[in-house]
Amino acid sequence: MAGVSTKTVHDIFQTMEYGPSSTSTATAQSWLEKHSRTLGFFIDGKFSHPADRQTQDVIDSKAAVVCSTVCAQAEDVASAVSSAAAGFKTWSQLSCYQRAKVLLKLPGVLQRHSQCVSEVCELSQSTTSPAVLIRLAQYYASWAQLRDTRMPEWSPQGVVTVVVSDDCSVYFLLLKVLPALAMGNAVIVVPGKTTALPGLLLAQLFMEAGMPAGVLNVLTGSEASLAAKMAQNPQVNYLTFSGCRQTGEAVAKAAAGWGVPMTFSLSSSSVCPFIIFESADLDSAVDGVIELAFKKKRDFQWVLCVQESVLDSVVARLKTRMAEMKGVPLASDPDRSIIDAAIQEAQQQGATLIQSCPPASTGGLYPPTVLCGLAPSCESVISPPPGPVLPLITFRSSAEGVTLGNHSPHGQAASIWTEDLTLALESAKSLCVGSVWVNCHSVMDPALPLCGRRDSGNCTDGGREGLYQFLRPSLSPSLPRSSPSSVNYADFGSAPSKFMIPEVFDPSSVPRFYSQLVGGQMRKADSGSSRSVLAPGGAVLAHCPDGGRKDVRNAVEAANKVQPGWMKKSPAARSQSLYSLADSLEKRRQDLAVSIQTQTGIPLEEAEKEVELSISKLSDWAARCDKEQGGTPFPPQSGSALSTPEALGVLGVILPNSKPLLSLVSVLGAAVAMGNAVIMVPSEKYPFPALEFTQVLQASDLPGGLVSIITGGRDQLTQALANHSVIQGIWYWGSKEGCQFLQYCCVSPLKRLWLHCEEEEEKEAGKIWTDLNPSFQEELWRKAVVWKSIWIPTA
Amino acid sequence: MSARNPGMHLDLEWVSKVRVNTQAVHKRAQQIQGRKVAKKQWQAAWLLKAVTCIDLTTLAGDDTPSNVHRLCMKATQPIRHDLLKSMDMHDKGISTAAVCVYPSRVADAVKSLKAANSSLPVASVATGFPAGQTPLKTRLEEVQMAVKDGAAEIDIVINRTLALTGQWAALYDEIRQFREACGDAHMKSILAVGELGTFTNVYKASLVSMMAGSDFIKTSTGKESVNATYPVAIVMVRAIRDYYLKTGHKVGFKPAGGIRTAQESVVWLTLMKEELGDDWLNPHLFRLGASSLLADIERQIYHYVTGRYPAYHELPMV
Repeated sequence: MAGVSTKTVHDIFQTMEYGPSSTSTATAQSWLEKHSRTLGFFIDGKFSHPADRQTQDVIDSKAAVVCSTVCAQAEDVASAVSSAAAGFKTWSQLSCYQRAKVLLKLPGVLQRHSQCVSEVCELSQSTTSPAVLIRLAQYYASWAQLRDTRMPEWSPQGVVTVVVSDDCSVYFLLLKVLPALAMGNAVIVVPGKTTALPGLLLAQLFMEAGMPAGVLNVLTGSEASLAAKMAQNPQVNYLTFSGCRQTGEAVAKAAAGWGVPMTFSLSSSSVCPFIIFESADLDSAVDGVIELAFKKKRDFQWVLCVQESVLDSVVARLKTRMAEMKGVPLASDPDRSIIDAAIQEAQQQGATLIQSCPPASTGGLYPPTVLCGLAPSCESVISPPPGPVLPLITFRSSAEGVTLGNHSPHGQAASIWTEDLTLALESAKSLCVGSVWVNCHSVMDPALPLCGRRDSGNCTDGGREGLYQFLRPSLSPSLPRSSPSSVNYADFGSAPSKFMIPEVFDPSSVPRFYSQLVGGQMRKADSGSSRSVLAPGGAVLAHCPDGGRKDVRNAVEAANKVQPGWMKKSPAARSQSLYSLADSLEKRRQDLAVSIQTQTGIPLEEAEKEVELSISKLSDWAARCDKEQGGTPFPPQSGSALSTPEALGVLGVILPNSKPLLSLVSVLGAAVAMGNAVIMVPSEKYPFPALEFTQVLQASDLPGGLVSIITGGRDQLTQALANHSVIQGIWYWGSKEGCQFLQYCCVSPLKRLWLHCEEEEEKEAGKIWTDLNPSFQEELWRKAVVWKSIWIPTA
Repeated sequence: MSARNPGMHLDLEWVSKVRVNTQAVHKRAQQIQGRKVAKKQWQAAWLLKAVTCIDLTTLAGDDTPSNVHRLCMKATQPIRHDLLKSMDMHDKGISTAAVCVYPSRVADAVKSLKAANSSLPVASVATGFPAGQTPLKTRLEEVQMAVKDGAAEIDIVINRTLALTGQWAALYDEIRQFREACGDAHMKSILAVGELGTFTNVYKASLVSMMAGSDFIKTSTGKESVNATYPVAIVMVRAIRDYYLKTGHKVGFKPAGGIRTAQESVVWLTLMKEELGDDWLNPHLFRLGASSLLADIERQIYHYVTGRYPAYHELPMV
């Protein structure tokens, strides 16, 4: 500091430097001082500070220890969960208005303590403006008010655990916590290193706003082990994670199998394309690049994609803008060697650098760097190095730009720059990402849903759409809570099926051999083997293929080919196809009723009812094709915003035993109506109606391959579906072990899971399928879509 | 002074490719306004820099030799000597960049400055200021006469009619002729951005003015309803950067009209530093057209030196 303060007016007059930025943290320091610089947990409305716990230091940007937090143990988890369970009881019994009133007070409280909030965030290296938090609180207060009027028939999940990783920002934390509270849940937060202090402070401020004790608890410690302990506790109903992929994976694996539904938003490790078309305002685009790429902490990773015709202009502007930039602090020491290695490798592959100055060999700073002339195959493009390093690739036509942007395992967001409205809308539509920012970037507002695709997440945060993860239809049963069995994840579903051996049949009634429907064709199993379909009495009804991995592969291949065309079809055309399917079902109603009767042994009359209801459900979905639509959320600044539902892609479904035809048709209707292709595995016990239904499908005008029906062993086929990366989601009705296996395996690559345990299902005797309550239908279609928000700011 | 911009042939393809996204420019302007300069000596140094970039201006119907004389004297000693001395800046040649007057007052200003042994340049507005709605012939003569009277810098106004109707070639020719009429005097082209309609037009007019050989481009006359705003300035300095990247010639920038506070002058310097770099932070490439700004800066400097806020009568008037 001595060197700085001796600068004379004349020195500065000549260099024209900005001078040191002074940030005071006095308010935050005194808050920490009040807590003796050791913060405990926040349980039951107060700080609790059990003795004999390990502590963890919180460090600021200069690597100085600010204070320490305590690492929770099993008993702390237990007391947090029981506090939350009690909190949930109080909170959920309040009226919507009473809950909204508490949340409405929060902005005022945040305003009063805005200095302290922003300083605490700053200190823990998670800079957030209080204005953003206030906006969040206001937005969700009104949803709390409207829950019962806008979402009747839905109930809160109960006790919700929100786990975030170290690099998750306060914004993303609250984007989970506030909607959960607004919908009437109690929340336990497991913050990461940077959100621990802000989380604890905010919990305290919630109390000041009048939140009942126990509704919001904060437990600090190691994410994965705490998540596992939470999952084990039968009083926890839902676990959701936000942050980086590594921690997310650890959390998923640790918490799998206890029957807690889990979702993941892996935004912070997502690589997002920043696409500059030749028709862009290049200067503004470059401003955007400078603003987002060279910060110490980025919400996303970026790859810069520039149209070849304007590459020189973009590079020239980058060079001038970057020339005066100083080094950017690195998040951690090992980052330097990672960056050095990445840059060296890129240079060996012919990359050139734009750098304001050569990097110093030591110290915590690294100069802003753009790696030009890379190819998509370079490691730095596939997973960009940490720090202020931005890979740049080029493309020829605008269509190629979109293809390049889509060719990635991630699907969080994209920023596109063009003054051409048609191009902007076309690209926004074709990009396989959750958020598209046109001529802007990183716009965060709770009104715009964030819905990562592929490896970027399997849940929707923000907007009305993001509320549903914290709700469940009041009628549906929840997953039973139990301890995980010892599932061998590597062996699951690899047991050989029972071999069929020749038996003696009465020649007049030799069981018929049915084929399965794969890729639009009736086929035998790829392995050639088949299995018997048994009637309730044990008699052999028919033979069906014993499908396996290769059949799934063939079906996925066909589905993947036909699905994009199906999605592009007009909703009206999709609707017509489904109506015609309902029509063909109508024509064969008798055959199907008989098949249900012989398979399940229920009276024919009841079977006829099921067929009747199936026709009606299918017509329902046909009708909904062109009625379910997105909206135009009110954007944070002037401009237009769109939020549209899109198809997931290819879905895998393991169907339940109950209501074999009705469940199949309901699921098929929802998935196909919203533009998905679907691969269905009928109940292993009752496949007969599904086999009969393949005839109906064959007669319909759905494109071949859009719906495949594969019969065989449930575990084998579950394993095959789980191990195919094209499949974006799995809906599962089956065993507890199957649920556990899927939770464990479908993290990498990430799939959208919807799990149901058959024991519960059978207790209910398939009531969920026959019930006419609209909330289950709503849940079905919400599970069948992902959301895309497009944000086009205007002046 | 650095090498002048010789201009270039009119490149209409370049002009036609211009694209400006208005909201992105507004966002950038907000960002720049949020960039803070440290207090204390940093603030003082930046304010003094602003002083050296001021074109101290009087453009009123009631200008006479006596108030022009006062203006010239203030321009040569913009900050009270004792204040400069306490910052050790009294011998660093702190004066405004120029004085700026109507053509008829050029001779008075030149005379006053000569009597005071000052080499401060005199700038004159010309070409039918502020509307530019007089015949080309008289506009050219106006330039020639101001130069003859001793003006070293001429602030011309461009023909908005030509710009608004997209007659870029005609506009280019006019400005070319003004440049010839200026001879050795430096030429600043006033775009009157408040009357150009869109940012795209501002960008295009900036490019055409630079191609025709302007040494500076200037936002406004101070007589339109909309004057120098940060977003419009960003568009113009981007055009300057674009022109520099393509031709290697540095053209200066002069915001004018409505700049009254010390705080604003710091934002203007920040804008230049952020968009164009430190090269543009000197009077060869940056001017602030202002009349009352200087008084506010002097007050702030007084406060930095003494720790007190002065009454108006404590600082010498213009």
